[in-house]
Amino acid sequence: MIGSVVASLNARLPAAPAPAWPMALGRIAMGVLWLASLRWKLPPNFESAGNTSLREWLELEVKHPAIGFYGNLVESVVLPNFILFAWLVFLAELGVGLGLVFGIGTNLAALTGLLMSINLFVGLAAVPGEWPWSYLMMIMWHGAILATAAGSIWSLDSLRSTKATPQNLHPKGK
Amino acid sequence: METTSTPTPAATLHRGSLGTAVLRVALGLTTLFTWLGNVQDDFYDSANLPGFFDWAFKPVEEGGNGATLGFVDSIIANTILQAPELFGWVMTFLELFIAVGLTLGLFTRAASIAAIGFFVSLFLVYYGGEEWIWTYVMLAAAAVAVFLNWGGRKFGVDQFIAKNRGESPAGLVW
Repeated sequence: MIGSVVASLNARLPAAPAPAWPMALGRIAMGVLWLASLRWKLPPNFESAGNTSLREWLELEVKHPAIGFYGNLVESVVLPNFILFAWLVFLAELGVGLGLVFGIGTNLAALTGLLMSINLFVGLAAVPGEWPWSYLMMIMWHGAILATAAGSIWSLDSLRSTKATPQNLHPKGK
Repeated sequence: METTSTPTPAATLHRGSLGTAVLRVALGLTTLFTWLGNVQDDFYDSANLPGFFDWAFKPVEEGGNGATLGFVDSIIANTILQAPELFGWVMTFLELFIAVGLTLGLFTRAASIAAIGFFVSLFLVYYGGEEWIWTYVMLAAAAVAVFLNWGGRKFGVDQFIAKNRGESPAGLVW
């Protein structure tokens, strides 16, 4: 009885290899993450009531650096030019968020998101109360999006490219 | 008695992808190192486990996390907190199973189902509080992607199990 049920269920398993849509779903979730993170760093002040502001986060990076050089860099270059860097952060996060949600320039968005996640990890790993694994998760997700055809479906890239197809998940066509 | 061996279908062997393998290993290592830290801190001890849930739902003004889902608080009060020693052991072995399973790609389908339940539970416990909720979205989404994309069939022990044993019962173990 159990054996026949199991055999029946096994027969219904998809014959195709890994589908592309779970990674596409992850790509969209990561895009929403970046867009949601803009809420507390909106121009022109790059802060919002009740949240730690962008400037305060940067000051925490200086106060609790995981790498001394990085803390010095933030203190001597970024904070004196806060408005410029705040705009850069805002636009970069907006671009990555939109790129991942809509699948526009997915690989570039994922690569930029990967570098920004590494930056967050290096900057915040030693800040008290932060869980560094959160940033490693971000690094991992962007790496996975880059390594797969996450932009091959549910994306604008798929409408204008014939190169990105779900088969890219399995280049050998297995 | 003569036995005949049925060749393992190609789809069984070639499920999985590089991106999903990246997700799986990173998720496994994240769980493993967190588990090790928890064991060292006696987190799962029946004397300490209730303190975590007390902190999770305590208002921010009183030094807690300030989670807001009352029904989750109620479920925990009527289950875990009624038998903290039992649930402490259950969590110890469940998290170890998830960590080892995902890191090695061993019984990945079962481990990723357990991981989905575990990370969604954490999401519900922390929801509305001070914790960065996206951490748990990323963890749960990664577990979902690993499950749906047969994460153990690339660079995982499951690849060899599937080769020798064929498809797992209902596709839910490896």
